[in-house]
Amino acid sequence: MALTEQGAPAGRPDRPHVFWTMRRRQLLWVWGFLAVPVLFYGVIRFYPTGHAFWLSLTDWDLMSDPSFIGLDNYTRLFADPQFGRVFRNTFAYLIMGTPISLILSFIIAYALDRVRFGHTFLRALYFLPFITTASAMAWVWRWFYQPAPIGVINDFLSGFGIPQMAFLNSTTWALPSIMVTAIWAGLGFQIIIFMAGLRAIPTTYYEAARIDGLGEWAILRRITLPLLKPTTVFLVVFSSIGFLRIFDQVYNMTTNDPGGPLGSTKPLVLMIYQTAFSSYQMGYAAAQTVVLFTILLVVSLLQLWILRERT
Amino acid sequence: MATIALRNLVKSYGKTDVIHGINLDIADGEFVVFVGPSGCGKSTTLRMIAGLEEVSGGEILIGDQVVNELDPKRRNIAMVFQNYAIYPHMTVRQNIAFGLYTSPLSREQKDARVTEAATMLGLTPLLDRRPAALSGGQRQRVAIGRAMVRDPAAFLFDEPLSNLDAQLRAQMRIEIKRLHQRLGTTIVYVTHDQVEAMTMADRIVVMRDGHILQSGTPTEIYDAPANVFTAQFIGSPSMNLLPAAEVEGRIVAQAGGPLLAGLRPHDLVVGAEEGAFAISGEVTAVEPLGPETLVHFLTEGRTVIATAPARMIPAIGSTVQASAPRGALYLFDAASEKALGRR
Ligand SMILES: Nc1ncnc2c1ncn2[C@@H]1O[C@H](COP(=O)(O)OP(=O)(O)OP(=O)(O)O)[C@@H](O)[C@H]1O
Ligand SMILES: [Mg+2]
Repeated sequence: MALTEQGAPAGRPDRPHVFWTMRRRQLLWVWGFLAVPVLFYGVIRFYPTGHAFWLSLTDWDLMSDPSFIGLDNYTRLFADPQFGRVFRNTFAYLIMGTPISLILSFIIAYALDRVRFGHTFLRALYFLPFITTASAMAWVWRWFYQPAPIGVINDFLSGFGIPQMAFLNSTTWALPSIMVTAIWAGLGFQIIIFMAGLRAIPTTYYEAARIDGLGEWAILRRITLPLLKPTTVFLVVFSSIGFLRIFDQVYNMTTNDPGGPLGSTKPLVLMIYQTAFSSYQMGYAAAQTVVLFTILLVVSLLQLWILRERT
Repeated sequence: MATIALRNLVKSYGKTDVIHGINLDIADGEFVVFVGPSGCGKSTTLRMIAGLEEVSGGEILIGDQVVNELDPKRRNIAMVFQNYAIYPHMTVRQNIAFGLYTSPLSREQKDARVTEAATMLGLTPLLDRRPAALSGGQRQRVAIGRAMVRDPAAFLFDEPLSNLDAQLRAQMRIEIKRLHQRLGTTIVYVTHDQVEAMTMADRIVVMRDGHILQSGTPTEIYDAPANVFTAQFIGSPSMNLLPAAEVEGRIVAQAGGPLLAGLRPHDLVVGAEEGAFAISGEVTAVEPLGPETLVHFLTEGRTVIATAPARMIPAIGSTVQASAPRGALYLFDAASEKALGRR
């Protein structure tokens, strides 16, 4: 006699099968919200980026179809004497701009953090350049750099009997002059971030250190700076990327001969712009973007690695 | 080691006075505990002793020296903060050694001090960890270690145990007390926990609204509270207070009477032999604690707490009678709230 069990197997009562489980409903919502940015970045950012890699292997003048030419664009780029110059300029912006702007903004943030009187006003004052249009600012600075009766700086210098400086017309001084503008433009943002970082350090750390007998300098070196490191790492990377991609200030301050005089201020992005939209060599410009991309990637990763948390 | 003295110490923020001219002498090696409700000025007083807060009036003396204008580092005082204030970017060893940052000792001597402190606090196996990998109690010990290596004139503690759970708190209480016995350094300790005050102090200083209400040994404060506030603040559960009057030399409960009669729940025993004072009412709640039971009952519209022996738990709604022995009744003046003695 075979044993037969009637109905549902014991211990496994039939649960009604629900398709929209809690997890699925949540996933639907999550992806519903994520879809827009994912689509946006896919179409507007990632696809063109990927496409640029392919374009860099072609010859394309926007009119005819791109034709595949292998690595020719790259060999041409590395042989181009202009590229060497542009490469050096770009790194000059990076190597001088990042440390100077970070040190300046830290000093200002550190001082502002202690000021009670007019604190909000001063902070707003420093932040103002950051929200001002780059071209407007660049034009104001261009005016500052003019020869004596017009230019404020030369006027000031001549007051002390110092000879006129050519600033933007000098192959030596044009790049530092533009850098000053760029540093000034980014300062407000860095100050705000540094101040937020400083505010986040609990005051009892300082009090404990004062009781343990540390002076201001020791407190800064042993407590403030180490605790501010995450903020600093962020700003180093952020500001480096900014200087490696510098364009606005250079373009607007040297409009007659963008990147001049004699290419002495020309950064990589400006070269890319000119190759693409003055010479219409899209493939060549794409190869330059790929190089810029690689530089940005390597520099950022290198910084993150050097500044990593060692435990 | 040193004595600490406060002379007419005043602190004001703008026009508001938060410390109203307090006077206190702390002997060398004494363990003094400041207690009081939140906002009464305990931390402010402590921070003035440490030099973290400017003195608005009066004087602070450490040893024989007036330190009002001295920087914290020149006062040779160590402080342990409520939130520990140990540095997240340093290991336990570095944190403890940080107390010796300005010390003229040689490297070897400093290392020896750190090792010694770590051994004393049971931190040796944790010396190379970062604070993030420590429990609350361990962090607190690191903070104490940093203060210990200094060999300061006095230790200041600001509610060091308030972030710990009850069990750890009991354990750290003992450890701090043992530390005091071993080092013999003057300690000023702030808490709002009366149990901490009772168990650790050589002397308790009760504060309220920027005034010192009473200062004395734990037994003095418990047995002879100077006023209603101290009587209710020290001792757990709080002392019962009933309006009363004296009629023909005897104390009787009387609504709106000129006196306040105080009875500690532990003196008021349910179902005891006839005592000197008896009181009865309807039970509203019982709290069995194991060795004893707290019985809440209503009498003349007020809740009174009494104790009952462990196994005798009265039913809610039943009427109980509790009595207290002679000498257990504290009398206060209802208007001034000052103590009038016991009977
Ligand atoms: N910067 C300040 N400005 C104005 N008033 C202040 C300031 N700091 C503290 N106070 C006031 O001083 C009084 C005492 O504060 P304090 O911190 O000493 O209290 P506390 O006894 O330590 O309380 P708690 O037990 O809550 O820590 C409080 O009423 C507080 O509001
Ligand atoms: Mg406090």
